[in-house]
Amino acid sequence: MKNEENLAYFLNEAKIIKPRDLGKKLRVAFLASSTINGFEETMRVKCFQKGIDCITYVADYNQYNQEILNQDSGLYQFKPDITFLILDTRHILGEHFFSWYSVPYDDRPKIIDTKVSEIQNICNTFQKNFDSKLVITSLQIPNYSPYGINEESTLRSLKEVVYAINNELLQWKKFGNIFIYDFNEFVRKFGEKNIFNYKQFFSGDIKISTEYIPKFINELMGYIYAVTGTTKKCIVLDLDNTLWGGIVGEDGFDNIKLGDNPVGRSFVEFQKRLLALNQRGIILAVNSKNNFNDAIEVIQKHPNMILREDNFACVKINWDDKSVNLQKISEELNIGLDSMIFFDDDPINQEYVRESLPEVLVVNLPKDSSQYSQIITEMKEFDVLKITEEDTKRGEMYLGQKKRKELEGKIGDFNEFLKQMDIVVNVKKADSFSIPRISQLTLKTNQFNLTTKRYQEEEIAKFSSLDNKIVECVQVSDKFGDNGITGTYIVEKKNDDEWIIDTFLLSCRIMGRGVEEIMMNQIIEKAKLSGIKRLKGEFIPTSKNKPAENFYEKLGFKKENEFWVFNTDNIMKKPEHIKVEKNE
Amino acid sequence: MSEKLYQIISNVFNVDTSKINDETTSENLEEWDSFNFYVLLDEIENEFNIKFDLDETLEIKKIGDIKKIFLKHGVKTE
Repeated sequence: MKNEENLAYFLNEAKIIKPRDLGKKLRVAFLASSTINGFEETMRVKCFQKGIDCITYVADYNQYNQEILNQDSGLYQFKPDITFLILDTRHILGEHFFSWYSVPYDDRPKIIDTKVSEIQNICNTFQKNFDSKLVITSLQIPNYSPYGINEESTLRSLKEVVYAINNELLQWKKFGNIFIYDFNEFVRKFGEKNIFNYKQFFSGDIKISTEYIPKFINELMGYIYAVTGTTKKCIVLDLDNTLWGGIVGEDGFDNIKLGDNPVGRSFVEFQKRLLALNQRGIILAVNSKNNFNDAIEVIQKHPNMILREDNFACVKINWDDKSVNLQKISEELNIGLDSMIFFDDDPINQEYVRESLPEVLVVNLPKDSSQYSQIITEMKEFDVLKITEEDTKRGEMYLGQKKRKELEGKIGDFNEFLKQMDIVVNVKKADSFSIPRISQLTLKTNQFNLTTKRYQEEEIAKFSSLDNKIVECVQVSDKFGDNGITGTYIVEKKNDDEWIIDTFLLSCRIMGRGVEEIMMNQIIEKAKLSGIKRLKGEFIPTSKNKPAENFYEKLGFKKENEFWVFNTDNIMKKPEHIKVEKNE
Repeated sequence: MSEKLYQIISNVFNVDTSKINDETTSENLEEWDSFNFYVLLDEIENEFNIKFDLDETLEIKKIGDIKKIFLKHGVKTE
C-alpha cells in the first residue's frame, strides 16, 4: 500500500530528506491563488531522487500579486531560480466564470483586455526585478457552459474568452525567461473529473485533487531538468523484446514481431517515438546480447524497422556484459553515464545495470510492449528550455562522428588523420542566435570545462553586452559535416594589464583535435592586440573535468598560486591542420 | 477491515499502527494535520471503494467516526 506515486509518500518523505550538497542546487518558488499544499513537498522529494538539492518557497495563499509587486516580500528575499505561477480560470475570471453571459456582448473584449493586462503587469514587474525563470500555467478551458450546445456557435463565448487570454499568454514566450505550461495538456491527459474534486475544493480550496498533485508536479519536472542541466541526452536500447517482439537468434528474421500484428504494431509505434526524439537531438545507441549478424540484419533489412543503422550513434551487439557495453558507449560518444537512459525489457538486466551503474537511469520497462510508447511519451527527462539548431542536427553530427572514427581506424596515424579531416574553426562573437547555445554549453559541458560555471541565457546575453567581457564561440566543421557551435569562452578584461578566463569549454565530441588550442590562441591574439601582458586562468576541479586538468600547463601557462598565467610576450604553438575563420 | 483502515492511516500519517485507535484525533496525534486529512479521506475512499458525503467528512473528529460512517455505508470494520 506504500505507493511511491501517492501524495502521502511525498508528504512524509519531505519531512525526512535533507540537502546533501550534491552540487546541483535549485531555488524554486510557487505562487498560486489556491491551496497548493503538497506541491513543494512533492517537488523537493522528486528533486532529491534525481540528485538535485531543491529549496522551496511558497507564497502565502492568494498573495502572488503582493509577492511580486512589493519589493519587501519574502519572494524577493528568497531569490528564486525558477518560479511557478499557477493561474486558474475560476480565480482569474471571478464571477464571470459563472455568469459570463450577463456581460453585454460589446463589453466582453474589454474584460479580456483587463484580465490580460493584470497578468502582464505582474509579469513585467517580475521580469524587471528577478533573475528567475517564470513558468506560468495557462488557463483551463471550462468544460461547462450554461449555453450548452450553443456554446460553440456563440461569438465571444465563455470558452473564447479563456482561449483569448491563453493566446495572449503565449505571445510572451518571446521573452527569454517566461515559459508557458499548457495546463490543458495536463487536463487532457488525466481528465477534469479526476483532477478536480469538488469535495476537496469546497473543504480546502484545493484545485488539483490530492491524488493528482504528484502527477502535476511530474509535469513541471521537465523545467527542473532543463534549468539544472540534468537532461538526458542518450537513449540506450536493448533489441530483442525492446525494439521488436521475440528473439531474433531463436525465432529468426522472419518471425520476430515487428509490423502488422498487434504486438508488432506496438514496437513500430515505440520506434516511431524514438525516431522523433532522435530527430530532435536525442542520441540513440544499441546495447544487445546477440549474434551481431542476426541483429544487424534486422536493423538493416527488416521492412518494418523504423530505426536504421544511421539513427544509432553507437551500436554494441555482442555477448559482453551490458554494463561494460554501457561504459564503452559512454566513452565512445563522450557522454556521461548520468546523461543516459537504458531501455531493456529484461528485469534482471534492469536490476543489474541499476546496481552496477547507478548513474544510468534504467527504465522500469514492463513485459507488456503495448505500454512502451506511453512510457516514453510520459518521460520529462529530455526537456530543455530551448531546442537549438545543434540539437536538431545532433543525429547527423554523431553519424559524422562514427565516420570520423572509421577513418581514424583506417589511417592509424593520428596526426595524419587530423590533416585529412579538413577542420575549419569559425570564431564568432556571441549574438542572438548563439546565446541560447552558449548558455546550453555552459550548463551541459562537464568534461573539457576549465571552470564549470553554469550560466543561464540571460546571463550570457548580459555578459555579451558588457564592454569588459568577451563572449565568443566556435563553430567547428570538417569533411564529415558541421559540428555546430561546440566551444565557447568568456574572458573578463580585468584591467589594462591582465585578463581573466572566466569560462573555457569545448564539447567533448570535439576534444583533442586542436580546436581547444585554436581557441586559446584566439584569446592570446586578442590580448596582445589590446596590449595585455598577462592572461590568467583557473582550473576548478570537479568530479568530471579531469580531461582538462593539464590543459594550461600543456599550452605554456605558469602556475601562480591557484591561477595559471600566460605571459603574452611568449608564443603559443598553434595547430597547423586547422583553418580559422573569423566572424567577430 | 479495522486493520486495513489502520494500515491506511498509518501510511498516510506515517505513524505506527500501535499509535492509532478509535479515540485518535488531530489533537492527540501530532502527525494528523488539516491537509493530510484530505489525503487520508481520498485514500480511504479509493481503498474501500466508497464515497463520503461532504457533511460526513466534516463530522469526522476521531478515527472512530470513520467507522461509524463505514457502518452507514455498509462497510464492515470488525
